[in-house]
Amino acid sequence: MAVDKDQLGEAFGIVSVGNQTVLEIMGSNRDICVGELFMIYSRRDDHERVFFFRVLELQNYIRQVDDLPRVAGTMLVEGDAYLAGIERNMLLAVGGRLLGYAERDTPTGGWVFRSPRRLPDHLAPVFRPLPGTSDEIVAQLLGPQVEGDIYIGDFQVGEAALNVPVKIPARFLPMHLGIFGSTGAGKSNLMMVLIKSLIDNNMEVLARHGDGQRVSAFCIDPHDEFARGIDRYGIQSIVEAMDRATRSQVIGEFYYLTTHKQATPREIKRYAKEIRILWSEIQPRDLYSIMDFTPQMAAFIDTVYSQKREEWIATILEMDEENAGGVPAGTLRAVQRRLRFVERSPIFQKTGVSVMPLIFEAMETGRVLVVNTSLMSDMEQFLLTTIVTRTLSDLRRAVKSSGTLADFDRQAQLRLPTGFFRRIVQKARAFYGIGSGDDAPVRDPRDLPVLLITVEEAPSILNPELMKGQSVFKDISRQGRKFNIGLLVVSQQVSVLDNVILSQMNTEINLRLGNEREIQACIENASVNISGFDDEFRVMGRGEGIVTASYRELPLPVRVPLFDHIFERDRHRYRQSSGRPTRKHVI
Amino acid sequence: MIERILSRNFRKTLRAIFRDISTYQKREENERLKLDEARIMRDLSESIIPHPTNQPLEEDYLVAAIDGSGSPDFVVINDIRIHLFTSATVVFHTGTRDGRLFHEINPVELSEALGTGQPRIDFHWHTGVKEDTLTKVAETIAHFYPVKFEDLILPFFRDWLGQDDLNSFENLGETEYGPYVNELSDLRSLLSRAPALTNAAIHDELRKVFEYDAARRLIESKFKPRYLLLDGSLSIFTHLMRKYPTMPSGFILRHLLELARKKGVIVCAISKNHTVPAAHQIARAVRKKSGGSKWFCFLPSKREPGGELHIYENRTYIPPILAVSYLFSFSDENRPSRVDFDRVWWEKHVLDTDSETMKEKAKLVFRDLEFMSRDARWYGYPVPLGVAHERCVLRRDDLRMAREIARGLIRNVGLDSGKLDPLREDYNM
Repeated sequence: MAVDKDQLGEAFGIVSVGNQTVLEIMGSNRDICVGELFMIYSRRDDHERVFFFRVLELQNYIRQVDDLPRVAGTMLVEGDAYLAGIERNMLLAVGGRLLGYAERDTPTGGWVFRSPRRLPDHLAPVFRPLPGTSDEIVAQLLGPQVEGDIYIGDFQVGEAALNVPVKIPARFLPMHLGIFGSTGAGKSNLMMVLIKSLIDNNMEVLARHGDGQRVSAFCIDPHDEFARGIDRYGIQSIVEAMDRATRSQVIGEFYYLTTHKQATPREIKRYAKEIRILWSEIQPRDLYSIMDFTPQMAAFIDTVYSQKREEWIATILEMDEENAGGVPAGTLRAVQRRLRFVERSPIFQKTGVSVMPLIFEAMETGRVLVVNTSLMSDMEQFLLTTIVTRTLSDLRRAVKSSGTLADFDRQAQLRLPTGFFRRIVQKARAFYGIGSGDDAPVRDPRDLPVLLITVEEAPSILNPELMKGQSVFKDISRQGRKFNIGLLVVSQQVSVLDNVILSQMNTEINLRLGNEREIQACIENASVNISGFDDEFRVMGRGEGIVTASYRELPLPVRVPLFDHIFERDRHRYRQSSGRPTRKHVI
Repeated sequence: MIERILSRNFRKTLRAIFRDISTYQKREENERLKLDEARIMRDLSESIIPHPTNQPLEEDYLVAAIDGSGSPDFVVINDIRIHLFTSATVVFHTGTRDGRLFHEINPVELSEALGTGQPRIDFHWHTGVKEDTLTKVAETIAHFYPVKFEDLILPFFRDWLGQDDLNSFENLGETEYGPYVNELSDLRSLLSRAPALTNAAIHDELRKVFEYDAARRLIESKFKPRYLLLDGSLSIFTHLMRKYPTMPSGFILRHLLELARKKGVIVCAISKNHTVPAAHQIARAVRKKSGGSKWFCFLPSKREPGGELHIYENRTYIPPILAVSYLFSFSDENRPSRVDFDRVWWEKHVLDTDSETMKEKAKLVFRDLEFMSRDARWYGYPVPLGVAHERCVLRRDDLRMAREIARGLIRNVGLDSGKLDPLREDYNM
């Protein structure tokens, strides 16, 4: 069935010149902006296709006027000059990129989207999609390009957004997600929208009795704004909007981790746990992942660790030059200096009750944790993220390398601190085993919830220097997909991130960036070709972004809605415990 | 050639020519201008007070313009030449009262009213055989300007003789033109400059007629423009002895102007190339006197009191027969242009025994002309003529495409033409 061209939107112009990458359109004198998206209807050789074109530059063009500067000069100098009947000749020359095209798939008759390997027909008509008119056809044409599980925003066509939700498939999250944007670009709001989407996804999976991919997230909140919200509503509002059964299933007993529970507002405190990590749960490579150690220092630490295992931090901190076993005094002092922040930290404790088992349980049951790191030092935050990542990774690695629960026990004991493993072993066997006996087979990690771990201020720990060594994140970035663990890398800069993480990342949400270098780095590292989008990055507004993904042909312009708006829209959904039909998406 | 152009001798020769011209100007033009200067300043020139841009006219009106273009050697097949002609008619509404200043009347509506598509295209071809040339030119004129021969001929004689009741060849036979009546039998008989009918002259003649036909169609249409602007002059070349036009276009022009008078249309023929000696000196003096950049200057003929100006004595084409000419400029940036009016219309509407009254009447017309000449694309030149020019002009690409189509058609009809590219291309020239 042929496309109803009325649905494509307002007739705007005609294709003039170009090739399969760059096109020029001659359009009517409308209020067009860079970044706008047009659809080009083509029937070359009787093949119906709708091409998607993105505006990258605009130029005023007056037909039959060769020397516009001279005309403008005359208008200025001769105060009584006019331009008679010029309106119909005033046009816009619109330059931009061909993003790809949709055509009918022969066997199914549905629309498939393809990379720009063809050119629209001669003088093909160009349409400007209109919200309220073109939403349905655009959603149909784009199909898998925008579909998925985790909603991040709406498909943007210039300054307007269509009612076409853009989502990321949960199965691609273990291949890492990057959020890049300068201060004020809308990262915090995006994170809140993302957290809400993860919660919504997990609710829907539960409503479908487990059919689907649950996603757990360890979300660092450096400004303590996710729970309370930036404006009116926050994640706490979602929690409170839930009925008891839903909250129990989706949120559990807590979702908020903080360093100082006493300082937490009362309503959030009910769902809060204090972050406490035992020294015994810290491994040397956790520290290698976040700070520089010389080979001599690493050798010394490894030696102590091999002898003292979980006591290694206390041993080193209590050591003096005389009982250091021949280690140069300078090396010992340097290592002790680096460990002092652990000793001083209220989070990392020699003895007491650790929150790690609770984090493990939450993450393996498909829950979202908001981690208030606003009162932590950078090092404390990085070490916390590293310990959680490494611990979860070690557990999943143990599962992956085991055939039965007995194997799992052995593998996990090899990798994890004894005390920690003892505390979680029963739960771990329940999560990972298909059955309960030692001979019971273990699950494939791909059947377990996706673990999404936020790395905030990513350049501090994902820089080339630290990634050269034994960084936990290097392993995760390369092998995370095997264990269903993905990194959510949040950064103001792209240029300083290590190539390993950038090359392994297959979804990027590129918000407004600070400077030319970052724009270029972002374009170079995008998972699909967005060369030529430089100007668009320069004019991007708050909350606007371009989503690139290696599994999609189309770079997707997206408008991230305000969290408050979508919460108000959806709040009633959290009161239904199950069996909710998915409500039609409305902006 | 370039080495010759760069040589000292080239400069020397050219310098000598310029010195001769300078001497001529000093001796002839400047001396003559001195004789005219006081009269020009006192009686003939006047500055224009422009109509305020934001103030509506008392009554909005239509302004039409016609321009044409063509190619005399569109296709050449041995001694056969095919001429291509184009003309464009545009009509603008002053639009001061509806806020759409000088908006164009829809070309589709205009085409329907004129009975021809816009812009219009037509052809002419002839061989090198003398009689064939004349016959075919006459046929093409008849095709281009399909008006009964007698109706076409008589307006010139009515205007020239001042006899409004001259309605037939019989009447004409009773005038001084009696001896020539029998020779005025058909369009072919009007081609009396036959020996001088070069290909270029034929092209100019046919192009004029083609444009005059566009004007005729407009005047006869439902549109009633107050002004009809033509690109060029109202020049008519006449036999020295017989005192009637040497070519059909002269008669056709008078037919057209009579028609315009009957319909109340003011025909203004505007020439950028004014051919008026010492025009820039006149412009300088008038600007100095008036202190403004918008002015006009009447160029009187021998018939006016005081006679013609000394600067164009012995130039029979200023003003043209049965026309009056003005020099004018609407901007300091532009050289002066010339506008010719139909003398018969002018005598009725502008001529006055009092020179101040006559200037005031002329000022009203020039105020309108100035108002329609403020488009920033062609500032100082009437916008309808600017647009008509854009519409009709045959650019290199247009001609190339037209010739490409012609090639295909020649092959299609099996015409044995040989190659159609310019002959020099055969020799890589």
